[in-house]
Amino acid sequence: MAEIVSLAEAVALAVRDGDTVAMEGFTHLIPFAAGHEVIRQRRRDLTLVRMTPDLIYDQLIGAGCVRKLVFSWGGNPGVGSLHRFRDAVEHSWPGPLELEEHSHAGMANRYVAGASGLPFAVLRGYAGTGLMAEGMASVRPITCPFTGEILTAVSALNPDVAIVHAQRADTSGNVQLWGITGVQKEAVLAAERSIVTVEEVVPHLDPRPGSVVLPSWTVSYVAEAAGGSRPSYALGYYERDNDYYVAWDPIARDRDAFRRWLDTEIFGMAETMGGR
Amino acid sequence: MTGTGTGIAMSLADVAGQLESGMTIGIGGWGSRRKPMALVRAILRSGVGDLTVVSYAGPDVGLLVAEGRVRRVVSGFSSLDSIALEPHFRQARQNGTIEFTELDEGMLHWGLLAAAHRLPFLPIRAGLGSDVMRVNSQLRTVRSPYADGEELAAMPALRLDVALIHLNRADRRGNGQYLGPDPYFDDLFCLAAERAFMSCEEVVPTERLLAAGPPQSLLINRAMVHGVVEAPGGAHFTSCVPDYPRDEEFQAEYAASAATPQAWQDFRARYLSGDEDSYRQAVRQFRGRPAAPARTGPP
Repeated sequence: MAEIVSLAEAVALAVRDGDTVAMEGFTHLIPFAAGHEVIRQRRRDLTLVRMTPDLIYDQLIGAGCVRKLVFSWGGNPGVGSLHRFRDAVEHSWPGPLELEEHSHAGMANRYVAGASGLPFAVLRGYAGTGLMAEGMASVRPITCPFTGEILTAVSALNPDVAIVHAQRADTSGNVQLWGITGVQKEAVLAAERSIVTVEEVVPHLDPRPGSVVLPSWTVSYVAEAAGGSRPSYALGYYERDNDYYVAWDPIARDRDAFRRWLDTEIFGMAETMGGR
Repeated sequence: MTGTGTGIAMSLADVAGQLESGMTIGIGGWGSRRKPMALVRAILRSGVGDLTVVSYAGPDVGLLVAEGRVRRVVSGFSSLDSIALEPHFRQARQNGTIEFTELDEGMLHWGLLAAAHRLPFLPIRAGLGSDVMRVNSQLRTVRSPYADGEELAAMPALRLDVALIHLNRADRRGNGQYLGPDPYFDDLFCLAAERAFMSCEEVVPTERLLAAGPPQSLLINRAMVHGVVEAPGGAHFTSCVPDYPRDEEFQAEYAASAATPQAWQDFRARYLSGDEDSYRQAVRQFRGRPAAPARTGPP
């Protein structure tokens, strides 16, 4: 059953140096507060997994938390490149960054396989692409035993930790999220441990159209973090802060500006954001 | 029928006219729940036979089998829910008049999913270590190409020529809505099929669909179906909640028809010899007669 703890406790308990960590949420419900707490607790050598790395992974990479990135798209949506990500790839600053690039369908299938307890998933993707030609360890051909057709088997993704943000949990740790959802459910079910930050903990969850419910027994830690997905949005709570995404570009382009951002917005905010 | 513009409205007979003998058809619903029974009755009125039927089987399969229209059934079970075994299916199996591909329910799901994804197979653990692999000699296993090297069952795609489903509401463009507690596998049946036809209790204007249920009740979208039939009572005698529950008394009447060849001849003469209107009239007569309320299962 999920333990309800502070965000600082959840990160301290669940995220270890060298872990493979998946933070999911597609445009909506991106777990920024939890990502910032990982930076604040100075985790190192993480393998970060995410279908669509955007600002939060740019910030983690720039802060030196990350050794490897497993992903299927990277960028500042509607603005441009992720310049901390680029600096790491092009100049190894603050350290080298290993890349494992997949297709979206490949990543989604890998999560589904991990969540299903299967060792691999089968799809038609990758054939004829450079991703296949590179001989990636997580992409292999498989032959259909009925038709002889050669398909692609992607290996299951089973992260050490999955971190997602949701609108609500109840006091027993059952989690509910709604609106545009991505692979949060699959990421949590596939992971060894999980942290769910929520806008609020309520006595009872009321039914919502199209909501995803993660029963308490599928989640390790629930932490209340109101505004925890800003500057992305939480349907029913707040809208996306588009200005933040635009303002991020000049900060990320300049190492000194980024260091100042880390000092003031992350390490200087320990009391209010981390609750430590 | 309401609304304007080009729709894909069809009649029951139009849909039956799309079928050909020897086809593989998938039938939605589950057991004796939200089965496209009016469409099944339309098949009985047509000359189509030699069918392979893929179904979470109930009286849909039972009626087609009883009328000798089926060569092979592909299913994980065949049940009337409140009557455990589908009696006509049981009789056909006992008499050896049909072939049967008996699968684990999870494998049936995976076969439809593989077909929906246009993949030739999908790996699954269900079926391993059971007689499912023995009685289906066409099944194969695959080995994981990764370090685990695990051997899994390979479920081949269940590609369908035609899928038939019944929903609570639809618009004339082919967007379909279920209002009961369970979507069953109706969306997968449609996606696994070359052509899919949907009957519904009521065709409503598109903008009225969301008045009846939340967005996720819109199970079927217009890209998934090729024809819509308005068929009030089209799931009878299976359930179509919340529009109506299963007609348990009539289902018992149906089940009793498997007792003897004469009982079946009487049943089909009374209920299946005319069109859908005469079926409804015969059911009304059945309901109106001084019924024994304690009707139970077959003898």
